[in-house]
Amino acid sequence: MLEDDIDRLLPLAHISLSEPPAEKEAAIEFLLDLIADNDRVSDRAAALEALREREKEATTGVGMGIGIPHAKTSAVDEPSVAFARSGEGIDFDAMDDEPARLLFMILVPAEGGEEHLQILSALSRALMHEDVRETLLEAEDAETVQETVREAVN
Amino acid sequence: MPERVVTIVPEDGLHARPASKFVEAANEFESEVTVGHVDGESVNAASMLAVTGLGAAAGDEVRLTAEGDDAEAALDELERILTTPEEDL
Repeated sequence: MLEDDIDRLLPLAHISLSEPPAEKEAAIEFLLDLIADNDRVSDRAAALEALREREKEATTGVGMGIGIPHAKTSAVDEPSVAFARSGEGIDFDAMDDEPARLLFMILVPAEGGEEHLQILSALSRALMHEDVRETLLEAEDAETVQETVREAVN
Repeated sequence: MPERVVTIVPEDGLHARPASKFVEAANEFESEVTVGHVDGESVNAASMLAVTGLGAAAGDEVRLTAEGDDAEAALDELERILTTPEEDL
């Protein structure tokens, strides 16, 4: 189901190949702005607060160089994913202490039920594959990132 | 190999704080511990990415296995985390 939705979930506008801020909180805002600049966030402060609350509960730095900040919030009307990557790596408080280089943000509507967990688990499974991580780290354009995610969540 | 089937209690499933506690605990034992849906593949319980990839929700049945000298203790602790409501963890 997820692979058919990639254009809607992760449009090219939500993919950045620019270097994000090197600090976790600022990097989270950077990802949020990719979605907000695409006019999908009705209340940026509320979305940021939901993301911060989730990080407070437990970090979304899942190790292997990956951070997946995510939240359910009424500030979005449709499920949205954003992508950025860090050449330097960002301290995401991961248990394996590996700095996060691949960053995905997931925002889903407050009434989205289990949808955010489905997106989160599909992305996590995709990122278990080293070749997927390598391709995302080396991609030279947003289209390659989008295509790689589409194939990997299949 | 010692194994156990456990029904997940925390409301948000194996996610956020319960998942974090679970993976931390799996790392504290010498034994190699795996977790997976009873009808699916098992993954390394000490990897947050792998555990997140399971997408295990409240009410799901998962199988835990442990191999090593402290296997039973590891299973006891992991079962405790999976069967404790999030607010009590």
